[in-house]
Amino acid sequence: MEEEELQKAVYAYLRKKGFRQTELALQEEQNRLSSSAQSDLAVSRLDNDPARYHDAYSKLRSWAYSSLDLYKHELLRVLYPVYIHCFMDLVAEGHMQEARTFFHTFREDHELTHLRDLQKLEGILSPSHLEEMELARSLRQNKVKIKLCEYSYDLLLQYLQKTQSFTMLGIINEHINFEVSAGQPSSISDDADVVALVGSSQDIAKHINQKEVRWGLLEDSVEERLERALSDSEKAEGENKEVDPEDSKKRSVEGAKQGVSVKKLKKDKLVGATGKNIRSETSTVSMAPRVKPELTLPVMTTEVEQSILEDLRNRVQLSSLALPSISFYTFINTHNSLNCSSISHDGSLVAGGFSDSSLKVWDMAKIGRPTKTFTEQQPSANLQGESESVQNEHLLGPEERKRSYTLFQGHAGPVYSATFSPFGDFLLSSSSDSTIRLWSTKLNSNLVCYKGHNYPVWDVQFSPVGHYFASCSHDRTARIWSMDRIQPLRIMAGHLSDVDCVQWHANCNYIATGSSDKTVRLWDVQSGECVRVFIGHRSMVLSLAMSLDGRYMASGDEDGTIMMWDLSSGRCVSPLMGHSSCIWTLAFSCEGTLLASGSADCTVKLWDVTASMKVPRMEENKASSTNRLRLLKALPTKSTPVYTLRFSRRNLLFAAGALSKQV
Amino acid sequence: MSIVPKETIEVIAQSIGIANLSTDVALALAPDVEYRLREIMQEAIKCMRHSKRTVLTADDVDSALSLRNVEPLYGFASGDPLRFKRAVGHKDLFYIDDKDVDLKDVINAPLPKAPLDSGVVAHWLAIEGVQPAIPENAPVEAIVAPSENKRSEHGKEDGLPVDIKLPVKHVLSRELQLYFDKITELIVSRSDSILFKEALESLATDSGLHPLVPYFSYFIADEVTRSLNDLPLLFALMRVVRSLLRNPHIHIEPYLHQLMPSMITCIVAKRLGHRIADNHWELRDFAANLVASVCRRFGHVYHNLQYRLTRTLLNAFLDPSKAMTQHYGAIQGLAALGPSVVRVLILPQLETYMQLLEPEMQLEKQKNEMKRKEAWHVYGALLCAAGKCLYERVKLFPSLLHPPTRQFWRSNGRVATKMPNKRKASSSHLLQQPALKKLASDGTAGSIPPISMTTSMQAAADGFPTPSESGIRPSSSTGQLSNESISGGSRKEKSGGKAPTPSTVLAQAWKEDLDAGHLMASLFELFGEGIFSFIQPVEMSFFL
Repeated sequence: MEEEELQKAVYAYLRKKGFRQTELALQEEQNRLSSSAQSDLAVSRLDNDPARYHDAYSKLRSWAYSSLDLYKHELLRVLYPVYIHCFMDLVAEGHMQEARTFFHTFREDHELTHLRDLQKLEGILSPSHLEEMELARSLRQNKVKIKLCEYSYDLLLQYLQKTQSFTMLGIINEHINFEVSAGQPSSISDDADVVALVGSSQDIAKHINQKEVRWGLLEDSVEERLERALSDSEKAEGENKEVDPEDSKKRSVEGAKQGVSVKKLKKDKLVGATGKNIRSETSTVSMAPRVKPELTLPVMTTEVEQSILEDLRNRVQLSSLALPSISFYTFINTHNSLNCSSISHDGSLVAGGFSDSSLKVWDMAKIGRPTKTFTEQQPSANLQGESESVQNEHLLGPEERKRSYTLFQGHAGPVYSATFSPFGDFLLSSSSDSTIRLWSTKLNSNLVCYKGHNYPVWDVQFSPVGHYFASCSHDRTARIWSMDRIQPLRIMAGHLSDVDCVQWHANCNYIATGSSDKTVRLWDVQSGECVRVFIGHRSMVLSLAMSLDGRYMASGDEDGTIMMWDLSSGRCVSPLMGHSSCIWTLAFSCEGTLLASGSADCTVKLWDVTASMKVPRMEENKASSTNRLRLLKALPTKSTPVYTLRFSRRNLLFAAGALSKQV
Repeated sequence: MSIVPKETIEVIAQSIGIANLSTDVALALAPDVEYRLREIMQEAIKCMRHSKRTVLTADDVDSALSLRNVEPLYGFASGDPLRFKRAVGHKDLFYIDDKDVDLKDVINAPLPKAPLDSGVVAHWLAIEGVQPAIPENAPVEAIVAPSENKRSEHGKEDGLPVDIKLPVKHVLSRELQLYFDKITELIVSRSDSILFKEALESLATDSGLHPLVPYFSYFIADEVTRSLNDLPLLFALMRVVRSLLRNPHIHIEPYLHQLMPSMITCIVAKRLGHRIADNHWELRDFAANLVASVCRRFGHVYHNLQYRLTRTLLNAFLDPSKAMTQHYGAIQGLAALGPSVVRVLILPQLETYMQLLEPEMQLEKQKNEMKRKEAWHVYGALLCAAGKCLYERVKLFPSLLHPPTRQFWRSNGRVATKMPNKRKASSSHLLQQPALKKLASDGTAGSIPPISMTTSMQAAADGFPTPSESGIRPSSSTGQLSNESISGGSRKEKSGGKAPTPSTVLAQAWKEDLDAGHLMASLFELFGEGIFSFIQPVEMSFFL
């Protein structure tokens, strides 16, 4: 309106002044403009036709599929983001029917790699869902980064220009960031970037991963004291005894110990090159740099320390040639209600959390070995009953005395996780009633109920030193607690979906969390900040394990993929393929040479991790494709999915799982 | 279009009392309902994962609903899977069959058995990386794999010390000892009981029996040598061997050297069982099949296994001083190894052997009925072996037989008319030995041949084409040849002339082993019509 008035005023002014020519010129120009605006309008009306997405995408698709083999896989990467954004654009414009047809027509192409995302996106049925759904929102807000080689990029641009497909061009411009690299196209196997199509923006992740992580071990740990003691005595024997590195395992370990003592003398505390100078051939725990604890750690009693020292002296050295012995605890008659299990450090206590809210603890030392017949078992079970607290005995009555376990009741919902304190005298359990309970295995009773989470608590883990523990929940947070406070000490928020599992770093300064948003994050316990985001999983992360030297982390997901991460760089060292179903549990051996994984496909697999760890040290960059971790052994169980794995301090592997009937 | 059609919304609306829901509302609701459904399922799957399961249950859905602060759906407690039924007359309408339950029945019903309480049992999944073969462990290649694995590992990591294992004392658990005692007792004393059958089944399937294999193989070898005249026991022992061989979890290779002699003994021993009536033939057949199966399974591992076996058997077969029973066993043993063995080893000897066998079978020449019976058994076995061999050949080259036979019958009515002639003659011959005929038929599948040894070979000899003839010729001449030989045979009935040996032809035929036609002709000469029963039914129809 205003414009028209203005125009009239201008015309009037021109006429009044007698600028005849100018007036005509203006008129002419105006006509031209308006006509072109009209034609623009026509074009945009054409553009609104929902079919154009379908046409343009199918053209792009057939072009990509018929492109040169060498560049094909790179060009195909572009298709997926274009596909989902086409779909979401259609939804946003309100063409529901067309969006559906479009989605189903091309769905098959992407099912292989993005099935879970597609299943979620399939549910989007109205523009409002786009706002509501986590995944869709983050996809809309963030740009996808795709690596292309120069030539593929040129090819793509040429195609888009030649075919005048502005729809595609628009989508690609709007949602994709190309990272063009000179030279040859990347190999197909090196596909990590495609997977990285997740909620959190790449840049943020990159930024976070710049932060420093001091992954070293704690100063003055028991292990170190033991080593010092040993090396002292060795020095007395004669230090200059030249040790042939390949002579034997033990020797090389001693060599490493000497290394540590030298380092101690130099009084080097933190991360740095000093570690490398004296690093000998084998990668034992002692090689890691030392850091100061950020938390005040509980004091260890001398007895406990003695027992740990004893264990350390008796530790079996494991390697790819010396595989561990595995003791398997099978839960029987669980009627499909066992949700989780936990094994104490020495393997003597086994806890099971059930969906009927109960928590049961078996004392394996008292039950005796499985060869014992039933009649023999009876008296020991009775003994167990008598040793139970008086209160329990009264409550349970004579029938209960036959029980082979101690029953802990208190939760009001399925128990999702249980964890023993490092010395086995406490037990923590988390439940869907959003509480965590602390139990004493000595008193057989509940001590504390920690309320803080708002939704089911999926996982709880004691810190390696005890006293502190971490929990994670459906409320998308992870929390740090100490046993003596009923309020959490820290709340870690940042995951975009449920936090499904949590694990402490060996030095207690960090925790790692795995989430349904397919990322793993590392958090600083002291500051509560996220210091690493690990992107690469294609589905929900179910299990985590930290190597005892603190440098590596393994994570397992719903699809059966295990990923090894280097904490300092935040990069995936190498994916481990082999399992066909959910990885319920992971465990590193004490010296970090082996990784054990337990899965729903009823196997325990042992992986050689030394191979992969050494390569990246030497050549950091080229590591990814060369060093696939070696599967050492797959040990199938008798239709028993493996729920828990735990290496004892002496390197005996304990495993637990519930016998399930084949359907 | 969407998973939830508007009809469903309308139906649900009706079910909660909204009778007239407008279509627009239903259409608008449907997508949202679907979205909510998916949302609930997504949460339910999370709950399922945290319950460490891979199967979604109704409980998971309830948990998911409570996560969303929605009242859970009662009445779908998991237990049995829900069964949906299709509504009659509606293609895509399903409902859960929810029967009315009479409260009285529920109250009066006896209490169900209390479910067993949960427990924990421990076992070794692996000892220093090696999976022990105990019943608790899954039956896998664990028994075979270690040696291979170790080898490959040592190959890779060169220069590593090879650990030498000291001899270990073999400790048997008490359960295994008991098991062994029970089984051996059953074998020795009650091999006809049902329990024994179950024992065999257990031997064939249980995974933890490996430690017992040396004991069993020793026991079997020992018992076989000791009780050769106890036929039921021998039979039971062979059954045990079969079960052990069948057990996929047992690594039987190292014990084969102990088991093979026992099995071969059961094939070619002179006497098995102490009574005349004992059916030792059956045992020989059984053992022969067993040995053949061993050869098939381990032949590629032990290259000389079959060689040694066939040598033993052939020696027994070719030694005229051996008893007929031994010959029988040897033939059955060789026959079980397959038609090619028969072709290479038995057929070349057939001619000579028949000459030896023939007198034994005739009433006039062999007075001892027992011996004659045995000879007929051997004859039956030979016929069977040769016939199977022929059958294989014919199957390989069906074209060889087809045209000539047809031609043969079309062109030659004469033979057909003459056949009865011959049959009469031979059956008259047979009449004398009806019992023997029956015996022989035990061993063979088809009809009994007349004693065609007496058939003249003369016609055949001059009727045979030279072996150098081209591919098509022999086949066409085959018809001619059998034609000739039959007519020759019938001629022979009258003339009773001499039988010049066709061994040259036979030898040639074995060499040119492609020529099934020759083979058949020669066999026909040796066995007469009996051999036709081994030709495929299609061809058979021409002869009937």
